Amino acid sequence: MRRAELVAPVAAILAALALSALLLLLLGANPVDALGALVKGAFGDRLALENTLVRMAPLLLIGAGISIAFRCGVWNIGGEGQLYAGALVATWVATRLLPGAEAVLLVPLVLLAGAAAGALWGGIAAGLRVGRGVSEVLSTILLNFIAVLGVAWAVHGPLQELSGAYPQSDTFPAAARLPMLPGSLRVHAGVLLAMVLPVAIWILLFRSAAGLRLRAVGLSPEASRYAGIYPLRETVRVLLISGGLAGLAGAVEVSGVTGRLFENLSPGYGFTGIAVALLARLHPLGVLPAALLFAALASGSGAMQRIAGVPAVTVQVIEAFVIFFSVGFALPRRNG
Amino acid sequence: MLRVELTELRKRFGSVQALDGAGLEIAAGEVHALLGENGAGKTTLVRALYGVVRPDSGSIRIDGELVQLRGPRDALELGVGLVHQHFMLVPELSVAENLALGERGGLLLGPRALRSHAAGILERYDLGFRPDLRVGELSVAQKQRLEIARALSRGVEILVLDEPTAVLVPSEIDSLLELLSRLREQGCSVLFISHKLDEITAVCDRVTVLRNGRNVATREVPGIELRELGELMVGSELPPPGQPPRTQVGPVVLRARGLTTPPLVGVDLELRAGEVFAIAGIDGNGQTPLEEVLAGVRVLESGSLELVQPPLALISGDRQRTGLVLGLGLDENLVLEEAARGGAPPEYRFGLVRPRELRRSASAAIERLGIRAAPDDPVRTLSGGNQQKICVARALRRDPCALIAVNPTRGLDVRATAQVRDELRAQAERGAGLLLISTDLDEVLELANRIAVLFRGQLYPVAPAEHTRERIGELMLGGAAA
Ligand SMILES: Nc1ncnc2c1ncn2[C@@H]1O[C@H](COP(=O)(O)OP(=O)(O)OP(=O)(O)O)[C@@H](O)[C@H]1O
Ligand SMILES: [Mg+2]
Repeated sequence: MRRAELVAPVAAILAALALSALLLLLLGANPVDALGALVKGAFGDRLALENTLVRMAPLLLIGAGISIAFRCGVWNIGGEGQLYAGALVATWVATRLLPGAEAVLLVPLVLLAGAAAGALWGGIAAGLRVGRGVSEVLSTILLNFIAVLGVAWAVHGPLQELSGAYPQSDTFPAAARLPMLPGSLRVHAGVLLAMVLPVAIWILLFRSAAGLRLRAVGLSPEASRYAGIYPLRETVRVLLISGGLAGLAGAVEVSGVTGRLFENLSPGYGFTGIAVALLARLHPLGVLPAALLFAALASGSGAMQRIAGVPAVTVQVIEAFVIFFSVGFALPRRNG
Repeated sequence: MLRVELTELRKRFGSVQALDGAGLEIAAGEVHALLGENGAGKTTLVRALYGVVRPDSGSIRIDGELVQLRGPRDALELGVGLVHQHFMLVPELSVAENLALGERGGLLLGPRALRSHAAGILERYDLGFRPDLRVGELSVAQKQRLEIARALSRGVEILVLDEPTAVLVPSEIDSLLELLSRLREQGCSVLFISHKLDEITAVCDRVTVLRNGRNVATREVPGIELRELGELMVGSELPPPGQPPRTQVGPVVLRARGLTTPPLVGVDLELRAGEVFAIAGIDGNGQTPLEEVLAGVRVLESGSLELVQPPLALISGDRQRTGLVLGLGLDENLVLEEAARGGAPPEYRFGLVRPRELRRSASAAIERLGIRAAPDDPVRTLSGGNQQKICVARALRRDPCALIAVNPTRGLDVRATAQVRDELRAQAERGAGLLLISTDLDEVLELANRIAVLFRGQLYPVAPAEHTRERIGELMLGGAAA
């Protein structure tokens, strides 16, 4: 990322901060105290930091996937649905298909199953685009509803815990849980995976011939066709990749954090992931700080309410400001 | 009286000093030519006059007043209009909508007012097309007349035309030059950029020559010699025009039978190794569909196309839309075709780029064709001629067996034109078959062993005895069809 490209995201964040301070003043709070509490709640102690990092993981995966999709001119709005699809299938593998397997086998299988399910969910949108010319914007949005409802149905039906007490799955066997990272911070290994994958996506996008095709299609489908690229083929590829990453986020969530599947599993990671990608100017490495920011906002909100007496939902307004300004300032010119 | 005085303009883009003290004076009722090599700064200079580029230093006076232009609107207010090197019309919108765009309150016009506003302009400037036609459906010459009419309809008295003739055929050029003389009689001033020296001597009063962002000379045109002009521009002697290659013609490399897709009807052609086969004709007779078929992006109604001897390379006729991905760097554009179908360019290993190799081959192309740019500059920022050179460089990279070149020297300066023609000739001498689709008769005559004329979707072969300007010109206007 060139230095000049950093200007817009930083400006977006500063503008959002200024407007948030104004809002806090209107709410009768001291903005410095409130934002201080927010930062403390996100990074102030070990627990806070762990919480932030764990929330960052799905945002990283989804944000990287959205970045690569948008770079190819494919408007995948279906991260949320792909996450749910991934979580669902991962849960099925962990609690129904292979609950007795060894951890060395089961953890990778659970993650792969999640990624595959997310890719499939993105693949449906790709199929509709190729076969029927349905815009992926529409299909991915609609597929979100189907996946969310599908999870609701599953936890009331086939995947419900055997005791039948609550609408949720059985807990994952220990062998299906992501291990904790070594060191003093208690965070699951999925966090590390989620920090590595954006780098891999960066290499794919900016260092590989495949990535060159993707970017060319996003910048000029016409010239790409003349050069011998099939834009639709790239659309399919990129929907599989970004769907797969979102599905992986779903698997990481159930296997690393909750240990079971239930409704409302995601606090909108699929949508926040879009904001992350936009703030990062669709740069897979820019996703790292952007995801950290959004994760910190979410995990610090509780502390802000407790310490500064500002309602936690205020953070959602702050998030909205950041999103608003990232779109306003930070959206890269598609052909620039 | 001086209408325009540009003095000591400087403009830097990153590492490129595009203007380095350039200046220009245009008198009232004068047609002034601006000449210079590709990348000399002509476009940048006129964009400064139009308020799109803000110079780092220097002054702009219009009618004696020192002005600060904040945008095209300021320029238009002062009577300065620019027809860009690459058209600025919106192809998806209608003629009427395009005419209203940028006009104060133009977007608020209702459909009826929009139509009558447009009809008035079309009538006044004698443009024979309907206001509700989509601009995308207009021919190049029509688009250009529309752009000129749009400028004049806003009361422009200082009209700047950036390479307006690059996309026109001789008859269209003649009528454009006539229009310029007419404007001069009406007291307008015109600034005219062109790489074609004969056009400059045909209508211009004075010429200013730019090199490396600096003025080299300003001369009265009457009495000047073509050769002198060319030498002022490139700073050395001009190469003599070339001859078609003399090579042994080999087997067929590309064969088309009965190509039919509107407006093409039953086009048969055979391209052989070692020959230059030129398809001459006026734009709009099926050139674009033919290019699309050969590029493999258009479905045929009937007929077949067989590439007997791959690989095939294409120099597209529209560098900005189909030739290049403007947002990518020069280096990545060069390898795009090879990276396209999963194939790996030599600059990539295991699917991953070797940055040093990529840089090296980009530098080699820059060197070979004298492109004014750095290897990773986004192609969007390059001058028109330098973009064109990249299209050529890419096609030559793979030593194609079949090479299709659509107006390959469009927008190139005299020296670069000669050089690209040499390169193309060398391809045929190496044993490639070159299919040249060109609206430029000089180019056709300088390169082709065999010529056919494309007229209303049909191909008419021209016997070798008829390889003359006059005869081909006749055929282009339908002489064989009648
Ligand atoms: N927006 C830009 N950003 C960076 N470089 C630019 C930009 N515009 C022009 N340049 C550079 O400035 C130089 C002069 O460009 P300009 O377009 O004025 O040339 P020109 O004389 O019009 O050439 P041509 O005959 O090829 O159209 C070129 O080297 C070009 O790469
Ligand atoms: Mg130019």
